[in-house]
Amino acid sequence: MTPGSPLTGAAGKLVVVHPERRAQRSLQRLVGATLCPVEVVAQLDKATIDVDTIVVLDAQLAAEEPTSCGRPARAWIAVPGEGLAPADPATVSALLGAGWNHVIAHPMPLLAEELLATAQKLILKQYFGLEKYMTWGAEIRGYQLDDAIERDAVVGALALDVTQVGLPDRIGSLVSVIADELLANALYAAPVDEDGVRFRVGEARDKARALVDKDVVTLRWATDGRYLAIEVRDQWGTLDPSAIKTRLAATKTSTADGGMGLPLAYACSNQLVINLAPKARTEVIALLDIRYKPTELARSASFHAFTGTV
Amino acid sequence: MTRLEIRIDDHRVHFSGRIDDTAQLATLAAKLPAGPIVLDTDGVTFINSIGMREWIRFVRAAREGGRQITLDRVADVLMTQMNMINELHGLTVTSFYAQYACASCGFEAQPLIDAVANQQALQMLAPPRPPCPECGAAMELADFPERYLSIFRT
Repeated sequence: MTPGSPLTGAAGKLVVVHPERRAQRSLQRLVGATLCPVEVVAQLDKATIDVDTIVVLDAQLAAEEPTSCGRPARAWIAVPGEGLAPADPATVSALLGAGWNHVIAHPMPLLAEELLATAQKLILKQYFGLEKYMTWGAEIRGYQLDDAIERDAVVGALALDVTQVGLPDRIGSLVSVIADELLANALYAAPVDEDGVRFRVGEARDKARALVDKDVVTLRWATDGRYLAIEVRDQWGTLDPSAIKTRLAATKTSTADGGMGLPLAYACSNQLVINLAPKARTEVIALLDIRYKPTELARSASFHAFTGTV
Repeated sequence: MTRLEIRIDDHRVHFSGRIDDTAQLATLAAKLPAGPIVLDTDGVTFINSIGMREWIRFVRAAREGGRQITLDRVADVLMTQMNMINELHGLTVTSFYAQYACASCGFEAQPLIDAVANQQALQMLAPPRPPCPECGAAMELADFPERYLSIFRT
């Protein structure tokens, strides 16, 4: 018998740190699907962690030691706490504020889907593309903007697409806001000059500007009956995940003087994913769960920031 | 896509269309007639972060000018975003639209909620349950109450 080798075959392991035995079992089975070695412990100080380790940590434990994500590891992923109920918004905000790149807010079954996709992206170091969040068979539709002034037209086309799929107005409304903010970010916040200055931030938004080469911006979307995913990609790779996390951590905005775009997209999503190849590509994927009522999910969205190469 | 249209009808200001990058609201406060003002946003279909910034600047300018502002028939899209902004908490809202769903038949609707009649309940983050237009069962707010009702907390 010749065993087929797993795609992964990579060095390293996953460590599950959770105080509850039942949650440990669920999480072990989940990340075990990556076919990477999995170690399970109840407390963080019992875990052996090195630079090749992906740590899956109970959110309550993470909140008790929020700076633990600064320890060397391939990645730190916080998952919902006791009983695998949704993570509470205060915990999500605290972890984002402490610099966590991966905070999963939702309980099962979203947790399973999200954690496996996250772990595999980290293991395989394949970060880009909304396909990783869709089941096979979901058709992907894409739009490339030829001019900055086409933003409204693309948002309108997307809203129409979503309506034609039969999704409710509530989803259509959220999709419009998310797409508009992600496109605005790619068109006006992403471009930098040689000094790193974001020189298009103050540009008039109703001004025509041809988008070629480095300025190319694309939007793709798909739905598989579980999620609706919207992906916006630019070729600048200048998004600063640390700054974004700080903004998202503020659960309420005291005012609205700038920098509200991504927090608004986050507030409208169930999961926000940033894939970054510095100076080469930024991709933001917003996922909306279309199976459940909003109140059956976590109040705060999950957040993931991956940094790698194209 | 419809750009923002503003119509001043005595002491009632009607907004319709999109509040987005092209909306210029900062100078609107100075054009309003003297006395209390009612802002009717029933026709607003979309608002983005730049539009929200403009909206806040407008409300701020009107308040700083000593104007008494009441929001009536607040569009759903505006209501959820205003709830994200601390500065707008405590504004007087007399009615607003919200996303509701019927647990019995699955119908989804955006009823107009009377914020005056339901004032106490709204302050306690307890949304009313209007009847479903299709089956008559009591509908439920289709989102977390905080996303619509934080603005009523004093």
